[in-house]
Amino acid sequence: MNHSYTIGIDVGGTNTDAALLCDAEVVALIKVPTDHQDLLSSTKEALQTILDHYKGAEPVKLHLSTTLSTNVIAEGRGAPTKVVAVPGPGVNLRSLSFPFSIIELEGYIDHRGREVSPLDMDQVLALRDVCDDGEALAVVGKFSQRNPIHEQQLARELAKWHSGVISLGHRLSGRANFPRRIVTTYLNASIAKHQGDFLKVWEDVQGTDISEIAILKADGGTMTLNDSRERAIESILSGPAASIMGVKALSQCPENNYLIVDIGGTTTDLAAVVDGEVLYERDGATIAGYKTLVPAVLTRSIGLGGDSKVTYEEGLGITIGPQRAGMPVCLGGKHLTPTDAAVALGLASIGEREAAIQGWNTWAETFGIRGEDLARQVLDTFTAQLARAVDDFYRELENMPLYTVHEVLNPPELRPRYIVGLGAPAGVYLPPLAAHLDLPCEVLPFSAGANAIGAAAARTTVGVTLQADTELGRVTIPEMGYQEELHRPLFFDIGKARELAEAKTREYASSLGYDATGEIYIVEEESFQMVRGFRTVGQTHMVRTQLRPEVRKVRGDIK
Amino acid sequence: MTQVGLVFFPAFDWAISPDHPERQERLLYTRDQIQEEGLFDHPSIHEYRPRRATDEEILRTHVVIPSLDQRITESHRIAAGGTIVAADLVVDGLVDRAFALLRPPGHHANRVVHGARGFCVLNNEAVMVDHLRARLGADLKVAIVDTDAHHADGTQDVFYNDPGVLHISLHQDGRTLYPGTGFTSERGGPGAYGQTVNIPLPPGTGDEGMLMVMERVVLPILREWKPDYIINAAGQDNHFSDPITNMSFSAQGYAQLTELLSPDIVVLEGGYSIESALPYINVGLLLALAGLDYSKVQEPIERKNREQGKSITEQVAKVCDEVMDLWQTRSQADLGEVFGEADFFERRRQIYYDTDNIYESQQEYVRLCSSCAGWRVIYTSSTRNRDPVGVVLLPWKPCPVCTGEAREQYEELTKDERFRQVVWQDPASKFCRCDGTTKT
Repeated sequence: MNHSYTIGIDVGGTNTDAALLCDAEVVALIKVPTDHQDLLSSTKEALQTILDHYKGAEPVKLHLSTTLSTNVIAEGRGAPTKVVAVPGPGVNLRSLSFPFSIIELEGYIDHRGREVSPLDMDQVLALRDVCDDGEALAVVGKFSQRNPIHEQQLARELAKWHSGVISLGHRLSGRANFPRRIVTTYLNASIAKHQGDFLKVWEDVQGTDISEIAILKADGGTMTLNDSRERAIESILSGPAASIMGVKALSQCPENNYLIVDIGGTTTDLAAVVDGEVLYERDGATIAGYKTLVPAVLTRSIGLGGDSKVTYEEGLGITIGPQRAGMPVCLGGKHLTPTDAAVALGLASIGEREAAIQGWNTWAETFGIRGEDLARQVLDTFTAQLARAVDDFYRELENMPLYTVHEVLNPPELRPRYIVGLGAPAGVYLPPLAAHLDLPCEVLPFSAGANAIGAAAARTTVGVTLQADTELGRVTIPEMGYQEELHRPLFFDIGKARELAEAKTREYASSLGYDATGEIYIVEEESFQMVRGFRTVGQTHMVRTQLRPEVRKVRGDIK
Repeated sequence: MTQVGLVFFPAFDWAISPDHPERQERLLYTRDQIQEEGLFDHPSIHEYRPRRATDEEILRTHVVIPSLDQRITESHRIAAGGTIVAADLVVDGLVDRAFALLRPPGHHANRVVHGARGFCVLNNEAVMVDHLRARLGADLKVAIVDTDAHHADGTQDVFYNDPGVLHISLHQDGRTLYPGTGFTSERGGPGAYGQTVNIPLPPGTGDEGMLMVMERVVLPILREWKPDYIINAAGQDNHFSDPITNMSFSAQGYAQLTELLSPDIVVLEGGYSIESALPYINVGLLLALAGLDYSKVQEPIERKNREQGKSITEQVAKVCDEVMDLWQTRSQADLGEVFGEADFFERRRQIYYDTDNIYESQQEYVRLCSSCAGWRVIYTSSTRNRDPVGVVLLPWKPCPVCTGEAREQYEELTKDERFRQVVWQDPASKFCRCDGTTKT
């Protein structure tokens, strides 16, 4: 019988975790310290270590979640990049103060994708004088997702003399938001070279012990090495996504709506699952202050963790975080932390319990209470603060705009009926939170390595945005650079739009080298009658599809 | 940085009827444009959800015949509720200004509602203004500046005799456009004489004329009256591309108007050039409200006559002079001459509901009172609701005499067999019975 082996590696801030899965079983789980000076070597070390556990003969797949592109962007190490934009009328780009220079060209595509005025070819030719061949170029037009013609024309012209990277906005996202499309395309172009160098290394690894390498994305899905060359930007922020995928792989949760709480030393991250799907950011990921259109799981970080600073102020009482206290007292630190409270109360065994008890006793004396009671109060405060943050989180989600009468009358139910916790201290803090919120809870098995398991269990995500306008007789799928005339526009209804979107999603997935046989679901759709002068003149349809990102289910014990 | 709250509710699943201009698609391109310009996630623009207005909130302002549930749809309730949300954002200090960018519109809806007029059933601004007074007290002074191309006859009707509200409507001359009213001679009831200010503009008036009206009339009046809140009922059908009006404003003109007026709360009204005007006007308006650069906002089509004709400019200047003269002399007017010397001022009206094609007959008596705006009684019936309905109305700050008399009148009407339905409306009372009493 054939087994399917997958290794997941998640490069984190402190450790690099690796997991080896055989079908639905975890075979091994290891971690090595992350070497920030040489990410590649610690990543390869993690791979080598986990491969030592591998006894099989079948080929192994590798899913990599790295911080490479995230770091390049956060540290401002991207290649010199120029943005060539076709903004048309509207918001003055200069007023948005982008931290990079933009060359603005004449040309105007309107909201329906009609070309109101063409590119000025003299301006296009003049680009040659201002763009350096060593620079990467990002080409972005307003409403290019409705009609990519200007971006495509520019790409053809630029390719005549520019040998460097050229990124096109419409290929990266079918969503509206010109400023975000500019930023996304700019970042994608600026990290393309780093991604290329990175790929060269891994292409060598591919074909030895490893049959196939995939890169984890911010939406929790994977893409091929080759695809990541064109869309490097999608590999940002894959770490949080890996943890969420770990939850989806390992959790026994019977509910469709649940809360994910990832408790760490410094911060606690929250994410929500609604109707069985992880909630995504409305527009896209934000990285190092850049707002992008990169699809990403929605997470919110709170400055509350096991190593948070505990302070007492007259009138305010005890507060925890958001600063980090450093090492807990039980590990020789100077400041008492929630970890010390858990250790003193016997809820966790880390370091020296006596030191923690002593610490609380000394502090408690100044209030004239027992150290044990103070430690308990600190844990109660932790629970209360976390519960408040959870409520704020759902309030924010519940403020998502609603655009139909139907939705206002039947707003989607987002609140959780179950909590899944992960992270090293989850066993201590999660049960009291769940009791406080009156919800059942589950602490994930392999809590500390769930990210690597999630990376290994993740599957390909790929989707398209179809926009059809029957009055103009045109259909566009920007991600594929596809634009065609509709043969019989009068008969192109929403059903036809769905059919075409599904067929095109499969075609697109196959062209990228993915298994396109899975279920395709419709993430979002819209359909409007166009009425002009008391008469219906056509319809407009939008269908956004995705290959269902089914995560492999994984058993909670080591084989 | 000015923070702007945006309550966007395009009601993508609601239309008056298939193929009606007030349709699902109306704000689609506005949504597309705002989204593509990145304004939904601009750091100074914050989007909020609308909510349903409650019966109490609506019936504080309106008398709906025969009942609320028989006359309004959920979309009307949400548009009114969304407007209240916008006002609360400003009052609560969550934002500096707010824009209720929503439909269906409201400014043709009168106090008494038998059905839909001019695509409107509930008057969103009016419900919001009364909500503000219920929250902040009856002494609040609110100015409404209506910049829709159609006369805001509904809003004028609701606040006709209300000293707490200054209602300024600039619009295409009523002799040339629905609803055919809004002349300078309509100046308000005996309790608020002069506080209804109509500025009828000749067809073809462009940005130049509109800016002249702002500078010569609207801004000086506002400076003098000193409202606590300025509300802009922002119809967008003065645009040169609007299919059902004949004005000549541009998106730039609308943005300049917004900047000059600096309203606290903006509420969308009409505007049916949904592709060539609304996306650009709304983007310009949002930018102007937030104090951002709108200089590059421009519609895709050129105006035929960029310059407003000389004769139009002269006509606009004349209207400005006339309106200012009326404003400055409002306190010298002899009310006895205008409203008579009797105890009551009587008004009889025929009101046409174009959207629902019904006629209403109204007979109204306003108590002339020197201590308050005076109580009122309205007898109303329509081709849809033929049984006459009696409505007794108290003003926001009634004097004890008026309150007593109105009570007596109400008791009398409930005993009168000619009226199957009698309504008592006391907006200021916490215990107000704003519901209609229906006799069997």
